[in-house]
Amino acid sequence: MKQRQGLIALAFLAPALVCLAVLRIVPAISAVVESFYTESLLRGGRVFAGLGNYTDLLSNKDFRQSVGVTLLFTVLVNPIQVVVSFLLAVLFTQKAAGSKLWRTLVILPIATPPAVSAVIWSVIYRPDGLANGVLERLGLPAQPFLTSSGQVLPSLILLLSWIGVGYWMLFLIAGIQEVPVEVREAALLDGASAWRRMVSVILPLVRRPLAFVLVADTVSNLLVFAPVQILTKGGPNGNSNLLMYDVYTRAYAIGDIHVAQAEVVILVALTLAIVAGQFRLLRGDE
Amino acid sequence: MRRVSLSALGGVVGILFFLPLLWVLTNSLRPGSETFAHLTLSWQTFFELKPTLHNYSALISSDVGRATLNSILVSAATVVIGLAVCASAAFGLAAFTFRGRGLVFGIVVLSFLVPFDAIAIPLSTMFRDWHLTNTFTGLVLPGIGNGMAIFLLRQFFLGIPAELVEAGRLDGLGWFGVFRWIYLPLSKPALIGAGLMLFLFQWQSYVWPLLIGTDAKHILGPVALSNLQGQNFADYGLVFAGAVVLTVIPLVVIAGFQRYFVQSVSSSGLK
Repeated sequence: MKQRQGLIALAFLAPALVCLAVLRIVPAISAVVESFYTESLLRGGRVFAGLGNYTDLLSNKDFRQSVGVTLLFTVLVNPIQVVVSFLLAVLFTQKAAGSKLWRTLVILPIATPPAVSAVIWSVIYRPDGLANGVLERLGLPAQPFLTSSGQVLPSLILLLSWIGVGYWMLFLIAGIQEVPVEVREAALLDGASAWRRMVSVILPLVRRPLAFVLVADTVSNLLVFAPVQILTKGGPNGNSNLLMYDVYTRAYAIGDIHVAQAEVVILVALTLAIVAGQFRLLRGDE
Repeated sequence: MRRVSLSALGGVVGILFFLPLLWVLTNSLRPGSETFAHLTLSWQTFFELKPTLHNYSALISSDVGRATLNSILVSAATVVIGLAVCASAAFGLAAFTFRGRGLVFGIVVLSFLVPFDAIAIPLSTMFRDWHLTNTFTGLVLPGIGNGMAIFLLRQFFLGIPAELVEAGRLDGLGWFGVFRWIYLPLSKPALIGAGLMLFLFQWQSYVWPLLIGTDAKHILGPVALSNLQGQNFADYGLVFAGAVVLTVIPLVVIAGFQRYFVQSVSSSGLK
């Protein structure tokens, strides 16, 4: 009987299992396998290269710069987005007129596909675009934004936060709303100041969604691609050349698919290492 | 007093987030030649008293218009096929006990822990070998097996009481009948939540369509828009109209199913 059940279950599961295996798991394994091979012109085909692709990468100046830029970007963008999403979630769960409407305006950019957002911001950041229009109104000098080595990462972070903060805020609002109203109100009656109430009452109670947001946000930011490809092409001087874009150019502009596969493996390993580190940290201070 | 200042603060934040979209909307309603005419900031930067739909009518016959139709087609196919595949898998996991169930469930979870964009490049070289570049099949396929959607549907299916299934079996329903006539009708909210997930995955994708479908017949909306913007003498009126259309379509879908959207977001975050 149990065996028969297994066969029927398998029939229902088969299409999805084939999809997941072929479209998710096989390519992941193939990236690892291919990263140990190289194309040989002499012998006309693929030959085993051991760690050759990896040592090539590690000795490549552009790759090392790309890792550095990606780490710097990671260290900056994630704390900013998590803190801003949390503050906004607290703000928009207070009882105040118009709260729902304002919250909706913050969430709206979720609907815009990231590539479309990048196109929009490419016009905003033009020398004669909206951003400099705003600065002019405030009496500030015009800025180069995407064409300046120092400003390109902050400009990308601003655009990515416009896209992402509303989305992450939704998880935190759901978390805050799980906190019983009495608990939130009691803190108010205690006369706890708004700041202390936030830190000592709300923060510990939304640890789980907060941890989820931090990890999921980190993973998505390590895979940022569209804004780099559309706005900066990794420039100026490689200062916005995030790993995901470097993999893409290595695979299709430089055409070295095996080294690109090795770089994919490094990117995923880096992601796992950072996420594992975050889990440790989050567990450590419990 | 405190409530008023909180409300004002919320308003300032909300409007700041909204300004870029308002600016895009306004400029989609004026000729492209005027895009940069109003940038000494004034109310006219964000409002147009004599709106014209010229950009939108030009959009219909442009590459971006065609690409938007492709996006709709590809997303719709993904939702329909993907829901069938994912719901049936979730049923297999929820309704039966069999050896290896834990293992199968593990594969499902593992598959959504590997972010799709990271394996897009190795997968695209496989698709090249299989001659799936520049085909709708190639564009739709990666969207239909969604581990997250299977997970969500399984959680919901587990709540369906076993007595209902037994009663259905006694009435002579086969297992497919149980799935089709008992599980599916009871699971509307979960199906809509999973459908939204499949739709947004496909509508928002960029890396994959850039790798796999860039010829004129198969190009998708976001890729076509970014090509248009990359031209030297881009008509920004057209760019903005395209951006508005590509944003409004998912917005209408999300707004229509808002309840389920928030539900699926929060349930995936809290578990």
